[in-house]
Amino acid sequence: MPTQESNDDRIALLQGTLDLLILKTLALGSCHGQGVARLIQRNSDEVFFVDHGSLYLALQRLEDKKWISAKWGLSENNRKARFYSLTPSGRKQLVEKAGEWQRLSRAMELILKGGMGPTGEEA
Amino acid sequence: MFRRKRSAQDFAEEIKAHLELEADELKDEGLSHEEARWKARRNFGNVRLAQERFYLKDRWALFDKMYRDLCFALRSLRQSPGFTITAILTLALGMGANTAVFSVMNAVLLRSLPVDHPERLVFLGTSNPPRGTGTIDTHLTFSYSVYQSLSSQNRALSPVIAYVPLSSSKVAVRSGAQPPEEAEGEMVSGAFFSGLGVNVPLGRGFSQQDETVHAPLAVLSYNYWTRRFARDPNVLGKTLFVNAIPMTIIGVSAEGFEGVEGGRSTDFWIPLQNRPELNAWGNPPDNGKIYTTDPTWWCLRIIARLAPGVSREQALPQLQPTFQNAAFVGLGMKMEDEKPPVLSFADAKNFFGSESAYAKPLHILMAMVCLVLLIALTNVVMLLMARNATRQREFSLRLALGAGRGALLRLLLMESFLLVAAGGLLAWAFAVAATRILGQWAQIESSLAPDRTVLLVTLGALALAGILFALAPMRIALAGKAELALKTSAATSNADAGKSRTGRIIVTLQLAMCVVLLVGGSLLIRTMRNLENTPLGMKVDGLVVFGVSPTIPSVPEGRVFYANLINRLSVLPGVESVTVVEGRLGSWWSNNSSMLVDHRLPDVVIGGSRTVRWNIAGPDFFSTLGVPVLSGRDFADSDTAASPFVGIINEEFAKRFLPNINPLGHTFGPDNGIATMTIVGVVKDHKFRSIDEAPIPMAWFMYAQIPVIGAMNVEMRVHGDPLAILPAARKVVQQLDPNLPLIKPITQRAQFDTTISQQILFARLAGCFGFLAALLVATGLYGTLSYRVSMRTAEIGVRMAVGARRGQVVWMILRDSLLLTGIGVAIGVPLAMLVGHALAASLYGVKPLDAASYALAVLGVTVVAMAASAVPAGRAASVDPLTALRTE
Repeated sequence: MPTQESNDDRIALLQGTLDLLILKTLALGSCHGQGVARLIQRNSDEVFFVDHGSLYLALQRLEDKKWISAKWGLSENNRKARFYSLTPSGRKQLVEKAGEWQRLSRAMELILKGGMGPTGEEA
Repeated sequence: MFRRKRSAQDFAEEIKAHLELEADELKDEGLSHEEARWKARRNFGNVRLAQERFYLKDRWALFDKMYRDLCFALRSLRQSPGFTITAILTLALGMGANTAVFSVMNAVLLRSLPVDHPERLVFLGTSNPPRGTGTIDTHLTFSYSVYQSLSSQNRALSPVIAYVPLSSSKVAVRSGAQPPEEAEGEMVSGAFFSGLGVNVPLGRGFSQQDETVHAPLAVLSYNYWTRRFARDPNVLGKTLFVNAIPMTIIGVSAEGFEGVEGGRSTDFWIPLQNRPELNAWGNPPDNGKIYTTDPTWWCLRIIARLAPGVSREQALPQLQPTFQNAAFVGLGMKMEDEKPPVLSFADAKNFFGSESAYAKPLHILMAMVCLVLLIALTNVVMLLMARNATRQREFSLRLALGAGRGALLRLLLMESFLLVAAGGLLAWAFAVAATRILGQWAQIESSLAPDRTVLLVTLGALALAGILFALAPMRIALAGKAELALKTSAATSNADAGKSRTGRIIVTLQLAMCVVLLVGGSLLIRTMRNLENTPLGMKVDGLVVFGVSPTIPSVPEGRVFYANLINRLSVLPGVESVTVVEGRLGSWWSNNSSMLVDHRLPDVVIGGSRTVRWNIAGPDFFSTLGVPVLSGRDFADSDTAASPFVGIINEEFAKRFLPNINPLGHTFGPDNGIATMTIVGVVKDHKFRSIDEAPIPMAWFMYAQIPVIGAMNVEMRVHGDPLAILPAARKVVQQLDPNLPLIKPITQRAQFDTTISQQILFARLAGCFGFLAALLVATGLYGTLSYRVSMRTAEIGVRMAVGARRGQVVWMILRDSLLLTGIGVAIGVPLAMLVGHALAASLYGVKPLDAASYALAVLGVTVVAMAASAVPAGRAASVDPLTALRTE
């Protein structure tokens, strides 16, 4: 398999987070796959690198779940592209998943900021 | 909302759109058109993989993949039919031979008796019977009184079961209006069925009461019921005449049970009887005594079940005193210096004990077929490696195109699965057919067919083979890496495959194994030749023999019967002479005992044996058999109960007991002194019990002069086909007694051959496996060497282009093979010597270090190796150098 050269600033996406990122991105308005990839990369200060193959499969998965819908259209520079937009049930999912994620990250933060452990005297 | 499923093409379209959008954007960022396109593509990653994942998204992925792999594997195997057929046949032969021998071994040595808890059953054995007794088997048979006293205790063994055949061959049986026929019957204890735990689904088994009153009842075996009564459920209550004694059929035993001893298949059982017509082993009463009344005749086999909670170690000491007392019942006091017999137990779990005559040959055969299988497997592996080495570029290409290692492995697994499945099916069919033929050759009447155990073992072996076949080429496939696809020269990419060290080691080992198998095979085949060509000391051609077991009310009437029979048979057209004999020649049967010579036990050298084999014969016995009478005369019609008692001895008897004197006129007789025979003839030593026996002292009595008469064998010398006389003979016999079948009619030659049938079968099989192995090695070598040579075509081209001569090239290749052969022989010969040593007991007239066999084996492998390399070498050398160099 072709290898992707490693880039220390980039972080491989956690399993399951890609869905949330896609939903969030599409909440801003409908967009095609390439745009979604770019947006995720840019909005994360280039930290996240999205494997494009996985992205398209994730889009398909979300579409199958009816959280997003898709139709072919033309891009701003007149190229044919498949545009995705959030459905109402997708919006509901976004709220739910975002809440979940926030709880998770708060918990992570609490632990990580709490020092080495209950007896972290060296700090 | 109804939506059609999105097509893979639509997905591909989307990815294409993505790449274009990305390229546009990158161009906006200042990259050139080409650069932008390239970078977009690079950023995306593996496009095909994404498409494949999309394709697989909703499918039952595994099944789909397997189906596609299957189709692909079939296609690729079909592309190289030569390889496919060779691989499948090799595997089928190796595996089939293994399965066949293993199923015989399983049936004979491993399969349990179809009884309840077979591990709690023991066969009783004894160290030696007391002095003054006669036995059927020195260590395995017991007297009726021993049986009775052992069965009257029940602390250690419960129940104790005796059984004894009604005849040393078969007995006469008749039922309804059917003509009389021969069948194998046994007398058994009342506890036989219940104690062994054998079901009697139709009717009932015997009870203790049946044994006590010697009830005239019979239980049929399932096979006999099928064969003779067409599974008629109304058979119960019918009468079965056994030696003309009516028995009422009361049951049919469970399918698969044919008695407790392997090799025999009992047709029916009756309770232990106490009438002279149904004596044990079909013997005539001895002085009016039969097995129940003669404590000196140890003729019963005993099998017993350990009492609940008692181990063998506990049971033996408890039984020893009982046994040792019972052993001397009716024999008078034990002599001072006589060691009492010691009781022992042997496993009764299997049909044959591990010490049975079949065990050793079977183990050796099993080892041989394992070697054959090993050779077959390595052959297939080498074929696969060779085939897949040439496919290395195909694999590289696949890897380069994005196939994962997993996908490659799946493909190889599928190919190997197909090979193994086809080979395995063929092997199974081969094994089923082979065991059927084997059973006939070996005259084993119980079933040898492969059963579930064999199936499981075979499947296991096939699964291992399948994995091996997939993994071995995988190494080569992966060794290529993706970059290899870019290299253009197959010659360079395959350079090391041609000289691979693994390949050389495998070839060498195969050669070594081939030496071992060829030596083993030829030792055994020479043994077979020796056995077949052993002079019998008589003219067997034209002799036919059959048994008759008439009901004999009194000894004089018996004599009249046989005299009558001989007279009537000898007037049949084509008959030269007719005589009778008690113990059939070439049937392993013999009477053995000490004899008085000139009224006293003869002196023998210390450790020498006084044993004399004796037999009862009719008039003109030796002239009918074609045994030369060295001095004196043959038995004659004039020797009667009223004339002086005469006997005939053989050379060995004279040499051993009457050395350096003219034996004629001296006397011999049984050691109880009841009769004395004057020696009137000395005959040349000849084979008696079997073909491979050494000469032993023998003595003959004239049937008309001794007070015992029972079943006899009739020997007829006829002109033309000996068997053609049988219908006429049968008519004569049945005119005398309609109840009498001809028992085991057979030519005397065939009768003798039965005594070496096992060795011959063993030798034939071993020879077959030896040559099968040689054949496999030859094909394997040919394949491997020609592959190795073909890999060097470019090299050969270069050599020839710079001036090498044809002969030099051929020699270069041959030298390499000769070296391998040399090493193979050097490893193989010592191994073969070990094998020869293990075979020693099975050899006859050949030494384990028989030089000719070794020379033949070494010559054989050398020829095979040379032939296998000369052909491809010659082909390579005749290639035009330019073509060779152009070989891509």
